Amino acid sequence: MTEPVGARLHPLTPFVKGWGYFVGGGLILVNNESLRSNLEIAGIGLLGVLIGGILLGALSWWFTKWQLTDDAIRVDSGFLFRRTRIIRFDRIQAIDVAQPFVARIFGMAELRMDVAGGGKSDGKLSYFRYAEAGELRTLLLVRAKGEQVAEQQLAQPEPEALLVVPTSRLLGATLLSSTVIGSAGALIWLIVATMVLDFHIGLFAGLPLLLGVVQPIWKQVVGNHGFTLSQTDHGLRTKRGLIDVQRQTIPPGRVQGLLITEPLIWRLLGWSRVELDIAGVAGKDEGDDELQGAQLLPVGERAEVAGVLARVLPGFNLDAIQLQRAPERAKWLRPIGWRYLSYGADDQVFVTTSGWVSRRTSIVLHHKTQSVRLAQGPLQRKLNLADVHIDTPLGPTNAVALHRDANEAAWLTGAQANQARVARQAIETTRPHES
Amino acid sequence: MDNLFAPSDVSWTPVSPQLASVRRVSSAITYGVVAVALLLGLGLTVGWVWGVLALVVVAAAFVWSWVLIGRNQRSWKYAERDDELMVSHGVLFRELIVVPYGRMQFVDVTAGPLERAYGIATVELHTATPATDAKIPGLHPDEASRLRDRLSALGQAQAWGL
Repeated sequence: MTEPVGARLHPLTPFVKGWGYFVGGGLILVNNESLRSNLEIAGIGLLGVLIGGILLGALSWWFTKWQLTDDAIRVDSGFLFRRTRIIRFDRIQAIDVAQPFVARIFGMAELRMDVAGGGKSDGKLSYFRYAEAGELRTLLLVRAKGEQVAEQQLAQPEPEALLVVPTSRLLGATLLSSTVIGSAGALIWLIVATMVLDFHIGLFAGLPLLLGVVQPIWKQVVGNHGFTLSQTDHGLRTKRGLIDVQRQTIPPGRVQGLLITEPLIWRLLGWSRVELDIAGVAGKDEGDDELQGAQLLPVGERAEVAGVLARVLPGFNLDAIQLQRAPERAKWLRPIGWRYLSYGADDQVFVTTSGWVSRRTSIVLHHKTQSVRLAQGPLQRKLNLADVHIDTPLGPTNAVALHRDANEAAWLTGAQANQARVARQAIETTRPHES
Repeated sequence: MDNLFAPSDVSWTPVSPQLASVRRVSSAITYGVVAVALLLGLGLTVGWVWGVLALVVVAAAFVWSWVLIGRNQRSWKYAERDDELMVSHGVLFRELIVVPYGRMQFVDVTAGPLERAYGIATVELHTATPATDAKIPGLHPDEASRLRDRLSALGQAQAWGL
């Protein structure tokens, strides 16, 4: 077997990757009663753990090499089981530079490449010096976009921010979200019931409720802290996070759809959240059952939302789209929500709205349509209604025109299939090289 | 009503009646196992009268499923248009799926042991989203390979990218 050529990662990589292992090993040794009495054994043990860890880490670092070939990035790794991964530039959907907490202390960063159909860890390359990671990202982006730009293009200066979401609004929006209000209400009731009414349910029940209050706040306020949206030559870029700073670039042409969510209380304040469907990004966040797309705006005011939409979809105006409400007989299936079911379309997008507590507006692009489905259940048949699903690749947007008149739905199915083809052909003539 | 899910301006191909046979055999196996289990379970614990009663109920359910399977099989049809594949199926819950050829990622042809014994196969078209669910069961193996080749050729020719 030929020894792979290429560059190694940052020498401190094993330490940054394995810090949890060292801390864990140390904690176990310190906490172990029998070892605490005998410091000598504890010391030897700790030393053993340390040396073993460093050795393993160093070996893995030594055998991991990356290089750029003509059309791909190649990563060789593993000392017992060799593995070569080749990621073609044209398959890279988005590239982030991420800085987990420990890496940030050492001024290091990792490169996360989103590959269509790939899992979370498939396109991770860690760690680099921060500046180096930025340069490599620029380089890869240039290659991924197929432009013949010289390699030595340096990392761009931090682009000017289009908008920054203030932390106070993040906090306010989270506190007013239904999960937090519901959990907090239940928690207060539980405390009152236990204290005043002497009603012993046990405070164990409070634990998940407490989690329901704390977890969203943590996720929103810490995870989205200082959310900044900016425009670069390679697309829109977002930056967020207090502890783990995440950067994400949204290449134009990869956007498949948008989802605007307006929970009940937010609506009164004119706030909404905008998420994006991007090829390769769906379901990236681990531990989340719900598919999550790229956040475009965690919480924004109406004018900001309109501005962001105009950036992503040039020439698009949501208000200009004529929304068709579902027929009134849909109330037999959706007693309250039928009023909020509607759909609309122009030559670029298909829009559906639904939900009376939390209103969701899905916007999908015609030329990203994967298939169109017409579906009808037994009750709908009695009412002469049918659903039309516009399927786009996995992501938060779910464009379904629910409970339409059956004839209209059948017409819509055909029309959307045609529209998808027409839109795609139009795109192909204007941008012949795109994927 | 019917033409909503099967527009008459395209020519629809029905699937093989063998599909119903396969499903009836597999439903017979399931109901048979359930019937025997109920008969013995109830017969040995509560009384044989109950066991026989359960048997009658299961038998009735099986006859009902026999009819439903037939209706369902007749509801499956597909059409190849110039730019898209259309699949229509369902009696109670009806669905019409329109998939542009260019959106196809790959095609699967599958046939289980029972399907093979009856000489049918299933062709499934995959796009970038699992929601698409464009599946055509009950195709003659020759037709299945023809469809597979045609779909991959068309998918290649009209590929749209992601």
